[in-house]
Amino acid sequence: MRILHLYHDILNLYGDYANVEAIKRLAQANEVSCTVDKISLGEDADFSQYDFIFMGSSTEKNQKVALEDFRRFSDQLKNYVDSGKVALFTGNAFEILGKTIKDNTKVHNGLGLLDFDVVEGDRVSEDIIVKADDLSLPLVGYRNKRGVISSVESPLFEVLYQNSQKDIIKTEGVRYKNLFCTHLIGPVLVKNPHFLLYISELILNKELSDDSLKYNQLSYEVTFNELNKRANLSDDIKS
Amino acid sequence: MNRIKVIFSIIAAKLTHFVGKFVGKGTSKPGQIALKILPDVLNYIKLPKTIIAVTGSNGKSSTVNMIYHLLENNGLSIACNNKGSNQLEGVTTTVLTNATLSGKLKHDVLLIECDERYTKFIFKYIKPTYCVVTNLYRDQLTRNGHAEEVFDVIREHIPSSTHLVLNTDDILVSLLSEKTEKASWYGISAPNTQTRVGNVYNDAVLCPSCKSKMTLEGNDYSCDSCGFHRHDPDCAVTSLSLKDKKITIDGQYDISLMTGSLFSFYNTLAAFTVSKLLNFDSEKTASLLSNYELENGRLTRFCVNNREGTLLIAKHENSTAYNQCFQLVTSSEGSCDVMIVVDQISRKYFTGDTSWLWDIDFNLLCDKNVNQLILAGKYVNDLIVRLSFSDFPQEKISHFEDINSAIESMDNEAQEPVFVITCFSDQMKVLNNPCVKKVK
Repeated sequence: MRILHLYHDILNLYGDYANVEAIKRLAQANEVSCTVDKISLGEDADFSQYDFIFMGSSTEKNQKVALEDFRRFSDQLKNYVDSGKVALFTGNAFEILGKTIKDNTKVHNGLGLLDFDVVEGDRVSEDIIVKADDLSLPLVGYRNKRGVISSVESPLFEVLYQNSQKDIIKTEGVRYKNLFCTHLIGPVLVKNPHFLLYISELILNKELSDDSLKYNQLSYEVTFNELNKRANLSDDIKS
Repeated sequence: MNRIKVIFSIIAAKLTHFVGKFVGKGTSKPGQIALKILPDVLNYIKLPKTIIAVTGSNGKSSTVNMIYHLLENNGLSIACNNKGSNQLEGVTTTVLTNATLSGKLKHDVLLIECDERYTKFIFKYIKPTYCVVTNLYRDQLTRNGHAEEVFDVIREHIPSSTHLVLNTDDILVSLLSEKTEKASWYGISAPNTQTRVGNVYNDAVLCPSCKSKMTLEGNDYSCDSCGFHRHDPDCAVTSLSLKDKKITIDGQYDISLMTGSLFSFYNTLAAFTVSKLLNFDSEKTASLLSNYELENGRLTRFCVNNREGTLLIAKHENSTAYNQCFQLVTSSEGSCDVMIVVDQISRKYFTGDTSWLWDIDFNLLCDKNVNQLILAGKYVNDLIVRLSFSDFPQEKISHFEDINSAIESMDNEAQEPVFVITCFSDQMKVLNNPCVKKVK
């Protein structure tokens, strides 16, 4: 398996790099060899050589820097995604894939690969529980962002619980083919081993063992239970 | 009309404060009540000529306490919020309870610790003569968003008349000088000293001013594009030893410290810089700061099953604080056991977010002097997973969800000292264990 980690140094605000490490570790535990290439500003890459592409969260300013640099990869990313290959964007990374990002000074043109606009407003900072149709268990996570996206046709998740009063929404992120976009920040795959397994199996197109994920599972359960003390979700949600 | 309200709010604050002392209530309440009566009450108080503010992610209270010590020993009277809240309410409490009924603060100096984000409210009413900014790190990101956002708040609200006292080794802090006419700089210029601790992330990749790539060489930074660069410090640590807990400032003032960490070196240096600006005798300052023991509970000594223990406060959600604690542990003499407790992430709000664990450089613990690493608390599984991605020898790790079980697991026969690293929110869960005896 070959992984491409984009802007590893400037888009890595909330420990997002851990997602790449987690996939690599799971692959290796299943005897699949895995290499990770990291590229940043001005560096080149051939996306067709990779099985998984990752981009993480950043400050609003660094996001704009990455946006400008990433324009040259726009066609490559489109071809990569259209071919059905897997990519994950965490935090505000995926905002650059939309049509525009409006901040308090100007409107930045996005790459236009996805059909939404972003408006930066007050910061949203919250624990959140979300659910995807393809996954039996909900996901736990954290959102820490200014960008609010306009409604999208194919959201990634349904929101079950959020513990702030801002940006109250029913859906979260975007899914387009196997491009997974979420505002959840940081080590999303570490904290949600079922999502890690799902993504990894999708990349490798085979069943994997989750024997190496015992403590990830315990960590998930503790966090889910903590959040659920506040969310009071019905029992059938976790079946 | 306002005159009456001013007197009324001063009386209200003083009364609440007086009552509060007996019922053990917080230091926010008096200010809160006064602000209800008159929201801009601080505008009506005649403040001393010298006002010193200290803000930043880490080291605020230590720096304030050291400055207090220096002011006091130079014969000045001080009004200070060092015993209470560092938000607008706490500052208001300090000012009003120290004021005369005619609305005058008769002390020589007003010294205030300011929460970084609350500078927005505090500086609206109080224009500091000097403002020390210690550092702007990744700190409580669930509350703060990120350091650039905190920077924006401080930059917007710092009065242009204020003389800034800036840590030149912190790129964001350094950039604040653009806002004011006067600035002094302090930093560590000791040879062979890495001032950025931890290798997991680097927030100095891009120039904070123009966002071009920065040139980083050792502790030096410069931007070829806009010219932003590390200022030569006006006051510098010119040599240091973590192990011996010693620094030399400006090549001639030796200071011995109680703790050997970069944090304590920087805080001491910041206080020294302020004393220079106040024209205090530097010899005297050095001797006052030598072996000065801070009483802010960041370091508690205890005894567990006849073993020596030290509890270090590394704030949760603050990777730099953890990294510096690790540095302190591994620079200590002989071997030791280390226990890390993450049970409740904040005492002020709820979150289950543990992404900050991935910013901590646990490889700093990979030192032969760490015999055993004990992980404990509700989020122990997150710690186990995180450590499994570090180079720390896994066979040296044991873990317990229950903190008491973790403490009781400690080998009674062993002689090595124990370091417990945790946060305010979890420290009492350790110190209240029956096997743990606090020592003075």
